[in-house]
Amino acid sequence: MLLPDYYEFCCRVKIVAGHDALEKIPELLTERGAKRPLIITDKGVASAGLIDIVSAAQKDRLFADLIADNVPPDSDLRVVNQLAKLYKENDCDAIIAVGGGSVMDTAKGVNIVVSENAEDLMAFSGVGALKRPLKPLIAVPTTAGTGSEVTQVAVIKDHEKHLKMAFGSYFLLPDISVLDSRMTMTMPPLITAMTGMDALSHAVEAYYCLQKNPLSDAHSLAAVRMIYHYLPIVAENPSDRNARLSMAVGACLAGIAFSNSMVGLVHNLGHATGSVCGVPHGICMAIMLPYGLEYNMHKREEAIAGLLLPMAGEAIYRETPPAQRADKVVSLIRQLNADLNTITGGRHARFFKEVKDREGKPLVPREVLPQIARAALSDGASIYNPEDTDYEDNLMVLEAAWEGIPLDRNKIKRG
Amino acid sequence: MSIVKDIPSAKKPLKRAYVGIFLWFTGRAIQAAAKVDKEVKKEFDNLPDDFTFSLGCLPNGPWMVIGKRNGAVKYLGGNPSQHKVHVRLAIKSVDAAFLILSFQESTALATARNRLITDGEVPYALAVIRILDIVEVYLLPKIIAGLAVKRYPKQWSAGRKLGGRIGIYARTILGI
Ligand SMILES: [Fe+2]
Repeated sequence: MLLPDYYEFCCRVKIVAGHDALEKIPELLTERGAKRPLIITDKGVASAGLIDIVSAAQKDRLFADLIADNVPPDSDLRVVNQLAKLYKENDCDAIIAVGGGSVMDTAKGVNIVVSENAEDLMAFSGVGALKRPLKPLIAVPTTAGTGSEVTQVAVIKDHEKHLKMAFGSYFLLPDISVLDSRMTMTMPPLITAMTGMDALSHAVEAYYCLQKNPLSDAHSLAAVRMIYHYLPIVAENPSDRNARLSMAVGACLAGIAFSNSMVGLVHNLGHATGSVCGVPHGICMAIMLPYGLEYNMHKREEAIAGLLLPMAGEAIYRETPPAQRADKVVSLIRQLNADLNTITGGRHARFFKEVKDREGKPLVPREVLPQIARAALSDGASIYNPEDTDYEDNLMVLEAAWEGIPLDRNKIKRG
Repeated sequence: MSIVKDIPSAKKPLKRAYVGIFLWFTGRAIQAAAKVDKEVKKEFDNLPDDFTFSLGCLPNGPWMVIGKRNGAVKYLGGNPSQHKVHVRLAIKSVDAAFLILSFQESTALATARNRLITDGEVPYALAVIRILDIVEVYLLPKIIAGLAVKRYPKQWSAGRKLGGRIGIYARTILGI
């Protein structure tokens, strides 16, 4: 077992999970002395009727329903400042963020502006610039994927100046995360599949990356067990509320694991593919995950083999000879992608050449792979990957992931 | 007691001295490598014209500063406060610096263990780390460099290794 001689672990988010967890919000607000929360969300969440459920769950309790639903799919500085103004003008005293990654990032940005009375958000970017607690923030995730309800980072884009600001601080952790099965119940199978694979990639990468430690490992293993088991079930039966809640909890566990252990090659190449070709993050994660395992296998075989137990269960784990366990993990993940592909009628992409836009045009033409390989050199996730990666390594992995063939492990450069 | 209080930086003088000498030497070696090694040169070419970075320890140093000046890469001494620094690699203490700079811990692992704090834009910081890795491979015997970097570049030709090493050592010592 890998036991680092030094590590840090922190997760101080109160997590409330259940089929009626939303009903708890008024009490949670009162505990924190808050009366007028600003609800931050996006149009998609609102039009799916999820805000109605959140509001209805508050019943007759005192609850100012101040709702802002204009968060764009990509966090935006202008929207952050505008929502902060709304918060101040209405004397709000807490934030409830209902949505996916972009809503969470936006809410965290708004919280910095209103708590620090910041004129310029940029002054608080970077790691450790925040020095004190912010206003109460309640996160209500509507996808089971990003884990941003338990992470201490936020990314806000300044589209006018073409700047991406990153914030990192324990003060950005939401105070409370409310995981309610009703929030993910209407998610269509394709989105369920890709966001679920994002969550699985968090759990798995956290289990092999450089900052792994026994505390993040415990969260990873529990997350892998839940996500691997429940993801095909929810993709097939979207209204299975127990499976939905399990996925929400699994994604949350995975979020706790990776925000302490970080992510590596899968996210490194996934971020680059997303920024060059506009492929949704979860699709990149689903495609890249088997390759991240293969690429790092020679450095992390024991850890990867250990994932077989939570995935396949005791009987199969014992039947599989130790030397084949890590390979079995990779093939089970490939099989999961294949199953999700079948369940979604072929829409869940297994390799990059299968990724199409709405008009059916390929989103990742083979010619752009060199550009993606180069862009990945500028992404910070490479730091935490166990094995080093250079341009050639990135290109080799991308070509295999494009074609959908396993990595030729003899070609991986070793030190 | 009072002496220790007045001059906190005099604590651990041997480790500090080691770290100071190491930084001075590495600084000059980076300047040399930018002339001798194609990959280091290319990394610097991709960085902005006045690009400057520092490496050192908190809270009171020692530090080294490297910068691009008129197209050439220069070791700029040990005082970062005189320069506008794009990337700062700060090691949390002299003890941690000793661990990293005596190659008992790779830069990546030091980052993972929160002993090395990187400030600045990520793409630039990653370029600096790649440059440091290459220079370490030149300066150190394989058995030690293997600990200092994630992956020792076995695929380098013997000519690159030997020629580069001689060139970099000679230039480092002569300061050219
Ligand atoms: Fe992710």
